[in-house]
This record gives sequence, structure tokens and C-alpha cells, in this order.
Amino acid sequence: MSANEKDPQRLAYIGKRIPRKDGPEKVTGRAKYTGDIHLPGMLTGRILRSPHPHAWILNVDTSRAERLKGVHAVITARDTAGRKHGFVETPRYPPDQNPLATDRVRYVGEEVAAVAATDHYIAQEALSLIRVDYEPLPAVFDPEEAMQPGASEIHPTHPKVKEPLVNIAGKTESEWGNVEDGFKRSDYVREDRFDSHLRTHGYLEPQITLASFEPAGKLNIWTSSMGPFLKRAKLARTLDLPLSAVRVQKAWVGGAFGGKIDLFSHEFCAALLSMKSGRPVKIEASREEIFAAYRHGQPLIVEVKTGVKKDGTLVAQQFRVINNCGAFRGSGVVVIFLVWGFIMVPYRLPHLKYEGYAVYTNNPVRAPQRGHGAPQLRFAVDSQLDMIAEELGLDPIEIRLKNARKPGDALPNGDNVHNCGLRECIEKTAERTGFQKKYGQNRPAAPLNCSKRRGIGIGVSSFMTGSLIYPSSSSAMVKMNDDGSVTLLTGALDIGQGAETIQSQIVAEELKIPVEEIQVIAADTETTPVDIGSWISGNVYVTGNATRVASTEVRKKLLDMAAEEMGANVMDLALGDKCVYVAGSPERKLSYRQLVAASIRKHRGDSIIGEGHWRAMRDEPYHPSLATTRGRWSENYAFDAQVAEVEVDIDTGQVRLIRAVTAHDCGFPINPLLVEGQVDGQVSMALGHALMEEVLMEEGRTLNPSWLEYRMPTIHEVAASESIEVITEQYKMDAPYRTKEVGEGLVSALLAAIANAIYNAVGVRLFSTPFTPEKILRGLGRIK
Amino acid sequence: MHLPKFEHLYPASLKEAARLLKKHGANARLAAGGTDLFARMKYGLAQPEVVISLKGLSVDFPAVIKGGELHLNALMPLADVAHTAEIRERAPLLAEASMSVGSNQIRQMGTLGGNICLENRCSYYNQSHTFQFIEPCFKRKGSLCYLIPKGKKCVAVFQADTVPALICLDAEVEIIAADNSRQLLLEKLYTGDALKPLALSQDEIVGKVIIPQPEPVRGTAFSKFSLRGGVEFAALTVAVRLDVADKGENCYAARITVGAISAKPVRALKAEKTMVGEALSDKLFHEIAGMVASEIHPVMHHGYSIPFLKECLKTQTYRTLVRGAERTGRYGKK
Amino acid sequence: MKRLIELCVNGEVYELAVEANTTLAEVLRDQIGLTGTKVSCGTGECGTCTVLMDGRPILSCLALAVDCQKQSILTIEGLSVGEKLTPVQKAFHEYGAIQCGFCTPGMVLSTTALLEANSQPSMQEIRKALEGHLCRCTGYNKIIEAVQQAAEQMTPKAK
Repeated sequence: MSANEKDPQRLAYIGKRIPRKDGPEKVTGRAKYTGDIHLPGMLTGRILRSPHPHAWILNVDTSRAERLKGVHAVITARDTAGRKHGFVETPRYPPDQNPLATDRVRYVGEEVAAVAATDHYIAQEALSLIRVDYEPLPAVFDPEEAMQPGASEIHPTHPKVKEPLVNIAGKTESEWGNVEDGFKRSDYVREDRFDSHLRTHGYLEPQITLASFEPAGKLNIWTSSMGPFLKRAKLARTLDLPLSAVRVQKAWVGGAFGGKIDLFSHEFCAALLSMKSGRPVKIEASREEIFAAYRHGQPLIVEVKTGVKKDGTLVAQQFRVINNCGAFRGSGVVVIFLVWGFIMVPYRLPHLKYEGYAVYTNNPVRAPQRGHGAPQLRFAVDSQLDMIAEELGLDPIEIRLKNARKPGDALPNGDNVHNCGLRECIEKTAERTGFQKKYGQNRPAAPLNCSKRRGIGIGVSSFMTGSLIYPSSSSAMVKMNDDGSVTLLTGALDIGQGAETIQSQIVAEELKIPVEEIQVIAADTETTPVDIGSWISGNVYVTGNATRVASTEVRKKLLDMAAEEMGANVMDLALGDKCVYVAGSPERKLSYRQLVAASIRKHRGDSIIGEGHWRAMRDEPYHPSLATTRGRWSENYAFDAQVAEVEVDIDTGQVRLIRAVTAHDCGFPINPLLVEGQVDGQVSMALGHALMEEVLMEEGRTLNPSWLEYRMPTIHEVAASESIEVITEQYKMDAPYRTKEVGEGLVSALLAAIANAIYNAVGVRLFSTPFTPEKILRGLGRIK
Repeated sequence: MHLPKFEHLYPASLKEAARLLKKHGANARLAAGGTDLFARMKYGLAQPEVVISLKGLSVDFPAVIKGGELHLNALMPLADVAHTAEIRERAPLLAEASMSVGSNQIRQMGTLGGNICLENRCSYYNQSHTFQFIEPCFKRKGSLCYLIPKGKKCVAVFQADTVPALICLDAEVEIIAADNSRQLLLEKLYTGDALKPLALSQDEIVGKVIIPQPEPVRGTAFSKFSLRGGVEFAALTVAVRLDVADKGENCYAARITVGAISAKPVRALKAEKTMVGEALSDKLFHEIAGMVASEIHPVMHHGYSIPFLKECLKTQTYRTLVRGAERTGRYGKK
Repeated sequence: MKRLIELCVNGEVYELAVEANTTLAEVLRDQIGLTGTKVSCGTGECGTCTVLMDGRPILSCLALAVDCQKQSILTIEGLSVGEKLTPVQKAFHEYGAIQCGFCTPGMVLSTTALLEANSQPSMQEIRKALEGHLCRCTGYNKIIEAVQQAAEQMTPKAK
């Protein structure tokens, strides 16, 4: 380490509020998203969807569609390689979904056929000419009904589930200690049930894919996704193409929030239609299709029984969780594992018994949605904890401090919480909001004859940082150019979270080059190295460390070259201003440009390139077992506490989130401006889920498939959002760092905080989301 | 989402537009701002072969006529209605209601006439029916209702915001037809039949909105309840107008119109009558709110249940009465 | 049957052959090649496709191209000249009001129209001007901050 870099405080780019690199491009309209790309001869594709929630497909006749002038290709399952795919693809949970339905449809909106035509009118007309003969089957929509013997079978229950239950996609079981014993030794035990509803991502950019198959055998894909490498792998396999024949290229992405991870039918169809027609094909889902047929978040039923000591210490918890998976496994079996994890991490718990069921129903498949089970689970646990606190005469802060994990705590699965800052998060949010003074004081916002009541509540959450899901690792390359500038090649995809900016900051710090001067080539499976993807909260930690390693390799080569050229000692050299200079005699320097030239001349053409690799969970071979939870899970956990201040109108039942204060232990923030943005966005998403968003379904059909009726927060619903950083990790030059995730955990505690705040304000305890005005009025006895 | 193909015509006057409507009959639709019609066409709810555009026609109102009547061109964009000085001064209730329609962009494009002639709405109706709810409901010329499974008639609701306000102001409309024209109390324009909400024949166009001179001591208020603060259609709207005697606090005329909870906006006639001669008081407002909630029977719609709407109606009516009363200058905060 | 029309977009006149049912959004994106205007629903419910028509924010997905002649259309591409960002664009960029960027063009144009008409808008006026724009990434907090900062930049300072 050279002289003036020893001081970790002297960071020039890391930890700075740097506006995004892609800001200027986006704010001038130059940024190209998938829909902005036009290729010559491009056709429009459209998908034919099932109108039945459950039916046999007796016959599909596409002949009239094929004959329509302007139609270039029509495909059904017959035209595919018959390869299934799934969010989870393991021996226990093999792929279960065909991109186009074969002999059966299992949800309204399931993809049955696709056409490519010269324009959307002809494509739509072609769809109407396809005749499908269905024989409807009994359908079931409620997971508790679907589980009961006698329910209409959507898929056989998983063979490893021994109970006489129907439609079980998977089960997760885990225990430690002895809950029965624990309950016996508890001073107070209570049981509650919490229901979370169906809500969705609400990404502004629709689902869209452009596929172009070259005659020589190369498939080019641009698609709105969360990472190109997973898409490449799944497309290659389902299309029966070698991996190298599929290239997924970068386009900017207009938001995803978990809803664009694994393979979608329209991606497969665009590709296959292109292969069949010999022309590029673009398929864009309409907003209605997105609301009615695409993947939403997971509605969960959480039944929890908890035993505590009279001082509030948790002794034992028993859980039964039911996840309404939809018609295929989707990520349903992952959620029931994750929910276990979200129980395990934040509070110390001597005894646990956990059972989670993922249940098939005749609804569209569900997908990860920001938090992936955490918001729903924390809503249950932290609501109940408040009820317990009230019963015991404790306040919500004390009971949480009593149970919160401490730094260095070992977790029952073998992980460690390392520098866990949860206690500090709880203390800081409580302090910032004056929690203990406001709590329990039924505080009207205005004089007593006013109908508004204020309340305050807290929730906590924890989230893992990077885990082993394909591709599980990231690599990066940093190359010097002969003018002394730098290019970063990274497979990371910026979906709005600022991936390219963050990675550039890391390079900038290691090489002391301004962020704007770092060229980034990103997210192209052909030209950039593999990347873990932007959904597993690994961008900063996994990709960041890979980028750091690549950058330090370049730095080392520059320093060594400079030492050689100047006859100096590496220890006496420093970087700055795109030069390497002798600390103390800065006039003795060589520019990067000169060093690159020297390296090429003296080291046989070595133009100075660095490579770096990182893997989540470097010492573990696999992700823990989804079914048994055994195995190490994550190297680092992020923690947060969120306090909500709400105002309830007792005459209309309407709830407003006035203020949200988030204290998060996200390691150290590489870019505080971006972190704040993540916090604000998650507060908005949480308040939407808590108060107004709901995908309303009836017998498998969506009643509100539009922006107008799916009530996502507008600018009117903004809450004051404050963010407190609890910094528990350090960024050290040239050393691996453990930074934590910040993109998902912060949506997870607020739901509980709002529920608790509502109770504090008006004494109405809600056990199901969303907390609509009608539910509040019923709770107040204003409606029977 | 894409518009189907159609023939596009640009009449040079309303009369010409009416004649074209007559000529093309049921195959033609009128487009002013397009914010309702074009969205519905994209959803497949309207498939006119001919679209008669009013975009080329000039809008140079409002005019304040002798006697203080306000004449508004129905083609005025809602944003202009909300911000025009004469309207804010003489019909603030209309300005207030106009500001709550949709979003700024909708208000810039959408017209007063368009809002007055808004088509009725229902969750099951207002979507494409390519793979959901394919069997047509009553509103789509079918024979069932999805919202009320054993229902015998359509219950799609009328959700335009300006109309309850205009009804409270005793507004009239001038209707232009191919061969004649007529003037009608706006309230009478609405049939209450969700399948044909407007009492207009095929060639009739709402051309002008006429608002009588306001009484000297008047207070008005408009409220719209929705889950979000903007953009959406209402769960319910309440418009109130109170006319108070010059030297006193007694109300001599009242209008209370409720919108969005039925196939047409509804006046609470019993409640209005009860207010006449009464002094403005908090007790009165509570009583009237209760009467309105029992006199008017909301239809459930867009996820809002009847018990909720009834309770909401009581609260909104009370609050709107208070605000309207305060604005008379004879009640509460002076 | 296509019709020949002339559209004035960002100060340039384009001669185009369009059908009656072609929307302004489609013409801008597919024929003229100005893809800065985005479409998120096509039915006027989200504000993403907003452009300025004679200074008024309108939804280009519900405007017929044939109805937009004789008017001056401003898209996001027409705001800045070369690399120089307008005060509104600069504020959005510097104050973190951009994440995925999909709502940004519409949001920036509505903000520009607001501040040109009213250089010191109240919070309520800002909300009413932007209520028709959905954003899922930012929660609107930094957007409001950017609008207020831009307003400050654009307000002539008292000497």
C-alpha cells in the first residue's frame, strides 16, 4: 500500500454523493431501452392467451392464421423443443413450465400460441384466427382449499411431501431447539394468523423483448430483464441452442423489482418466431397483459405461535406458512425458504419449528417481488411482537432491543451476523422520531374534535447479501487504453439501482480517475464477463469485489511499471491525476499514458488489463437446501429498523404515511445519494402495499388490470423519508470488503411499522393487508 | 395498445358535425380531447368507423352575458375551466371540480363537454376482453352482469367530476343537432340507464354550458373521495351549494349532488328541502349528512363496497357542507 | 389510406405519411425516430408519454398525429442543446431524481412547463402539475427536491 493511501478516510470517490453516470443520457432521452431499438425488417409478435383458469387443450388449429397475409410465423408447443424451465431448477425441484402450453392450461392468461406479423393489427387478427378447443376443468384459487384432499389437481403433490395434501409444490421444514419445551417454559404464549395480499411490481417499462436470429445461427436478444446471463442460459436450453449461440445484449431497463428475472414466454416466443421467420421479432406485453397474466408478488398466510418470558425475551416460535404459488412452482419454493431465513436473522430465538408450504392454484405464476417474502413475514412477526409487548407492559423499543441480534452472533444455520448493527438501527430510529414519547399517547394531529389521529410504530428486518443462485459469481475486467483512460467490462445490468455508477466508483477509487472518465461496457453476454445479476442483492458486494480485484490488479501493474521506469520503490509511489508520482517529489511522475506505452514496449505488448472474480459464499459449494434449510446461506446480512408515523382519519378510515425513518446497516454506502434513492423508493413501495395497492382477482381473472385501478402511489402520497446510515463495515483500499445490500430489505420492515402505527393511532389491529379505509372503519365499528 | 382504423372527419362547425353524426349514425363517434374516446377505443370498447373531430373548432369563450350568466363553450379544456378568472369568480364550484379531474395532462386535453358526456364505467367493462370476461356483459350488448351475478341490469357508474358541480349550479346545456337546437337543464341530460347514460339522440352535441348568475351570498364546495390524491376516478363525489339570506344565516336554497355512486349523478332532494329556512349549524350539517346517506343508495363499484360508500357519503357530505357554509362568509371561520 | 401531414417537432418540420389512427407517440418513436418519448400503457393513465404541445403537457399516446399539425411539439430531445442541460434536467440529474429513467422524460417536460408558467410553485402546485406521472423507483422525494432546486435556479434573483 503506497504512502498516502494508507488512510482509509481519504476516499475520493467511494462514499461520495456522485450523480449517476447514466443521468445525462436518461434526462435527454438518449438512453435506449429495448423498445427503442429498431432493426430492419422487424416484425411484431403477439401471444394468444388462455381464457380458462384450468382446461385441457384438445386441439390448436393455426392454419387460418398462417394463411393471413402479413403473417410470417405462427408457433405453438408443437414447434418447440419441449424443454421445460422454472425459476428453480434443482434435482428436488426440476423445471416444470413449458413456454407454450402443451396439453393443458392452468391459469387465465397462460401462453398457448404466438404469431409474428408485419404490424400489430395483422398480428392481433392472426390471433383471432387461431382456434383452440378447450375442455374446462374444475379450478381452485384459494391455497387452503387447493391443499385439501379432493381439490382439483393442478400438478401432483411433490413426492417428498408425505402428508395427504394436494397441490403442494414444495415444503420447507426446519427446526432447532424444542418448541414444545419452549412454550412450556414461556410466561406468555399467543397465536395469530396474518394474511398478505396479492400485489405487484409496477415497473414503468413494460415487459418487452427483441429477438433477431441470424442465418449463421446466432440469436441476438435485447430484453427488459434483471441480468442477461440467466436469460441466456434459459433461452439456450429451451430453444435447444448452444449457449454460445445466444447473445443477450444490454438495453437500459425501466425498473424490474424482481419481476423480470427468469425466463418469460414472450422472450422464448420472440426468439423462436425470429428463428422461424428469419426476421427480427419484437414482442411487447400490454399493460393489461402485465397486470392480468404476468407474475406478481407472493400472497402469504403466516400462522405464528410465540412464547416469551415476561421480560419480553423470545423463547419459542412455531410457524406455518402457506404461499399461494400460482399455477407453476415459480419462486414459490424459494419464498418458503426465505421466510424461514427472515425469521432466523433479526431476533435471537432459542427454539423454532417452521413449516412452509408452496401451494399450486389456478392463478398466474408468482415471482419474486422486492423483499421476496420479507415484508409479509415481518408484518406478521413484528405486529405480534407489539401485541406481546402491550400484554406484558413493555414498549415496542425495549422488547426489540431485548431480542435483537448482537454483533458476532452465530446463526443457527452456521452463518454469522458479523458486524450486525440492528440494535443501533433500533436505537437511532427511536431517538430520531422521539418514539417513546409519542408512543401510547393517542395523539390527535389537531384539536380533539378533529377526526385525525396520529400514531407511531416500528418494524425491523434483515436481508441476505448475495447468495448462490446461478450464475452465483461475478467477474470484471478493467483495461487501460493507450491514452491513459480506463474501460470497465462488467456483466452487471443497471435496472435503475445505479449498478454502472457504483462499479465505476470502485474503479475510480482504486485508480484515482474521475468517475465520468471511466468507460463502462456492460451486460452483454458476448463481450462482458459473467455477472451474478441484479436480483440477489449482490451487485455491490459480489460484482463490486470483482471490480475491485480487477482494478487493484491494474493499479499494481501501473505502480510496478512506474517503479521500474523511475527507478523508485513502489512503497514511495502514489496515484493521482492519471499519473503515478513519487510521494514527496510530485514532479517525478509518469502519466498512465506513458506507463501503458512503456508496458507495451518493455513487457511484450502487455497493455495492462486486470481481471477480478468473486463468488458469493466463496467456501460453500451450494445454496442451502430449500426444503431443509441446511447449509450456509450468506456471508453477510443487512439489517434495518423502520419507524412509521401515520395519520388516520377516523371518519373516512383513510391512512396517510406522514413520515418514515429508516436506519439501515448496509455496511458502508458506496454512494449515499443512490442509497437515499433506494430508501425513498422502498418507502413508497411499502406504503403502496400497505395502504392502497391490490391486484383484485376473481376466479383467476384480474379485475383491475390497469394503472388507473391498481393504485400505486402518486406524488400526492409522498411521505417524508429520512435515512440514517449505521456504518458497520469499512471500505479499505486493496482489501475485500463486506458491504451489504440496500435494495430490498428496506421495503420489508415498514409494512409492520405501519400496521403498528395504525394500532397506536386508533386501536385497530389489522391482520391482513392492505390496510384499506374499509378495514379501518370496520375496526372502529363504523361499518358492520 | 393501438387504435383501430377509422375514417377521420373535420367539420368546420358544430352544426356540420351534427349533420355528419346524423349521416353516419351509430357508426360514428365524436372526439373532442380524445381522452375518453381514444382510451376506450384502444380497449376495444368503442369501434366507430367514423370519428368526427371537434379539434379544429375555435374556443373563444367564456362570455359573461347581461344578467351575469356565464356561457361556456363545451370545447374548453378543463385546465382552462379551472383557471379562467370569470369562472373562478362566478362559478368557483365548477373551477374546483374541474381541477380534480384526472391529471394535468388530461385536463389540458380533455374538454368540459367531454367530461359532461363521459361514458359510464365498471371494472369488468373497462378492459380489453381478449382473454378475460370474454362473454359480453349488458354494457357490451350481452346478457349478463359480472359485478352482480344475478343482476338484471347494468350498474356501471357515472364518474365525471364536473357534473355534480354543474347540477348544483342549475347549469343548462345548449344542444346542437343537425336540424335544430335545444336548451336543457343539465340534470335532465342523464337517464340513469347505464347502457345509455345520456338523453342525447345520435346527432346531438353539447355545444354550450350556461350557468345562471350566482346568488349574492353563496357558498359552494366540492369533494372527491378516492384512495389516492390524484389521477383516479372517484369512489364518490359530493357537490354542495348553499344560498344564504343577505342579512342572516338562514339558508334559502341548497343543492346537494352526489356523483360516482350510481348510473347518473343524484340530488339529495329531501335533504335539500330540509335545509331551506334553516340556520347554518354544525348540528344541521350532521343531520343533513345522515339524511343524504339514507336517501341515496350507492351502487358498489371499483372495489368499494356499499357499506363503505354509505359511511363515506355521510362523512363527505358533512365535510362538504361545512366547507360550503364557511364560504358563504356567514358561518364558522369568517 | 395514409394522409400527408406536417409536424413541427423540436423546431424542425417533418413531412410524414400517417393513418388517422396513428398516435403522436407512434409517429415520434417509429417514424421520426425520437425514442426519448416512452410509452408505458398507451391509454393515458401514467403520464410517461407526455410531450409539450404549444407549451401544454399532453399525453402523446392519446393524441392523433393528424390533430397535431399547426402546433409546436417539444419532446425531451428538444430540451437541451448538445451537452448543455437545462436547469430542470441538471437538477433532476444532480439531486438523484433519476433511477431507471423511464418516467424521466415526461416528468422533466411537465416540470419544465410548470416552471415556465410559474417560477415559484407551491408544494400543492407541484403536486397538481405532476400528479399524472407515475414513478416507481424514486418515491417522488428527490423529484420534488429537484423541482424546487430548479425553480430556485430559474427564479431571477432580486438585485
